[in-house]
Amino acid sequence: MPVVTASDLVVRSLSELDLDGIVRIAEKTRHRYQPDLWEDRVTFYLRRDPEGSVVAELDGDVVGFMLGDVRSGEFGLEEETGWIEVLGVDPAHGGLGVGKALGEAMLERFRQRGVRRVRTLVDASMPEVKGFFERLGFEADQMTPYVKRL
Amino acid sequence: MAETTTTELPKRYHDAVVKWRETFLPDYDFLIENWDRYFPRDPKFRLCAYRECGMPCSIECGEDQGKPKHQKVADMKPEVAHQLAAQIRAQASTEFGSIQQHQLTLARAQDEQEQAMVLRMMAEELRHGYQMLHLLQEDDWQPVTGASTDQMVEEILSMRTGSHVLGAFNIDFESFVDNIVFCALIDRVGKYQLSMQKISSYSPMAESMPQMLREEAFHLATGVVPLRRWVVKAAEGSPMITLEVIQKHLNKWVPRALEMFGDERGGSTNVKWGLKPMKNREAQDQYWREIGKVVHDLNMRYLRARLPQLELADAEAALARLESDGGSFQGVRAEELLRLPHREYFRRRGEPAFRMVGFDGETFESVEAYLGHLTRTLPDGYRATRDFLEFVEQMTAVARGDKKPEEAQRVMPQLRRVGGVCPCSRAVRWVADEAVELPGPAAG
Ligand SMILES: CC(C)(COP(=O)(O)OP(=O)(O)OC[C@H]1O[C@@H](n2cnc3c(N)ncnc32)[C@H](O)[C@@H]1OP(=O)(O)O)[C@@H](O)C(=O)NCCC(=O)NCCS
Ligand SMILES: [Fe+2]
Ligand SMILES: [Fe+2]
Repeated sequence: MPVVTASDLVVRSLSELDLDGIVRIAEKTRHRYQPDLWEDRVTFYLRRDPEGSVVAELDGDVVGFMLGDVRSGEFGLEEETGWIEVLGVDPAHGGLGVGKALGEAMLERFRQRGVRRVRTLVDASMPEVKGFFERLGFEADQMTPYVKRL
Repeated sequence: MAETTTTELPKRYHDAVVKWRETFLPDYDFLIENWDRYFPRDPKFRLCAYRECGMPCSIECGEDQGKPKHQKVADMKPEVAHQLAAQIRAQASTEFGSIQQHQLTLARAQDEQEQAMVLRMMAEELRHGYQMLHLLQEDDWQPVTGASTDQMVEEILSMRTGSHVLGAFNIDFESFVDNIVFCALIDRVGKYQLSMQKISSYSPMAESMPQMLREEAFHLATGVVPLRRWVVKAAEGSPMITLEVIQKHLNKWVPRALEMFGDERGGSTNVKWGLKPMKNREAQDQYWREIGKVVHDLNMRYLRARLPQLELADAEAALARLESDGGSFQGVRAEELLRLPHREYFRRRGEPAFRMVGFDGETFESVEAYLGHLTRTLPDGYRATRDFLEFVEQMTAVARGDKKPEEAQRVMPQLRRVGGVCPCSRAVRWVADEAVELPGPAAG
């Protein structure tokens, strides 16, 4: 399997210029064009901590993104926790290590900030995302998601 | 994100900034009171100086590359220190200056969230100005500038629209379109200046940049996101905004943005002295490509709003064709789309100053025809401003042969009110512009 090498792929902090690339990847993977949603999300992460989210660039095009930040107090977790909240890789560049490069960059950034624990939630109907996080070294946690419909 | 240290200015300077804020940023208290409503879960704003820890300690470019960075002004060669003082003063001027501009039209926003974003951005610009005062106050600049800290702080705080260092900060806003286009274009120059100053051979300057850059990322979103939404409104036929209005505002601000990089031929001393890693033209080139992308993305957002049935790939192909070949596609004409004005359009500083180049790069023989072209391609309200009037005067003088372009550009912007405003002002021009080889200044 061809793998993108570190020299081809640039992983860098999120910027507002990445909006089109992100909207595009999300449209390809979710089959919905939702620019307003992504504009809100990207603005949210940019104003909180632009270095806490990353995009992967190949030949100047955004081919993947991972958004998250550091918070404490969520669900009673007092310690500073890194959250990986949204990710996407352009299917045209899937399976080439883009996701892995993004994940490793995020973890390194969290580490540099002194964060000791990184969390995410994976939709059980998306085994590829589960597999992806497991390869990054994530393991199932004690906390179980609950939901009640109203 | 690495560790940062946080400091406040000594009380009298801190109080001076607070007093300035009460005059020029009267909505600050509203922002703080409503912070959680507009920016839930975000850390609270704080007026202070942040310094990043753990940055490179050796000089990153130029003739002293590899030697230890300077911790004190006294360690620097006088000419380098002088250039640096000019940079700090210019940077401070842009920060305070942009607040004065934004305040003029802040109340005219039609959307509450957009207004709140601009207001937060203004508070962060105040912090940026505060950060520059911190640099002046922390060190002994008197041997370099001939002015005491009091005098330097006072001079900066007494600048008004019209007396700021750089042209873009001497132009009055006319509507909220200016607030937004300014963030998208002028703050973007700020991002470039800050990233360049991040390598400064003067450590306190370099350490001041990372937090400012983080905030700048939000300022750019404050410009770009509303613009993306406005082009959709325009596509839907909203009476509130049209692409023509946005285009005219691009025409108003792009030339000023380009000039903020300093003369295209200059900037080599900054590199030589380890103050910035790029010469002016190089940085301006990168900026030019970046705003090209901003415009392209806006056109994409517009096209998809005009033709919602189009698939992604078809929309991309259609836009590429419209932008390269013109013509029309399913009723959308290429002329409707946004474009960057020619790089030499409406220039009054730098290499192409006063060349009478039009929007498409066409050149004009008669000054009357050129000014007519400008009035058709600039926003209506701008034509009535002092800034445009001054351009018309200088342009006419150059066209008639009464002045050389170099003489005329020295007048733009005119420093009309230096020291004259504040009744207690004993302000001095503690940095002479002439001492700077070519302007390689800074930005909001
Ligand atoms: C999951 C996803 C991030 C993987 O990205 P990618 O760039 O293709 O992954 P990589 O090539 O970097 O692979 C990284 C690791 O994940 C594993 N992986 C990738 N896809 C996988 C799959 N379908 N099943 C199991 N493991 C998988 C790989 O084996 C690889 O491990 P290795 O390097 O040890 O072999 C990507 O497919 C994606 O974005 N999917 C959609 C995500 C989405 O819709 N999220 C919405 C909820 S936020
Ligand atoms: Fe800014
Ligand atoms: Fe700023």
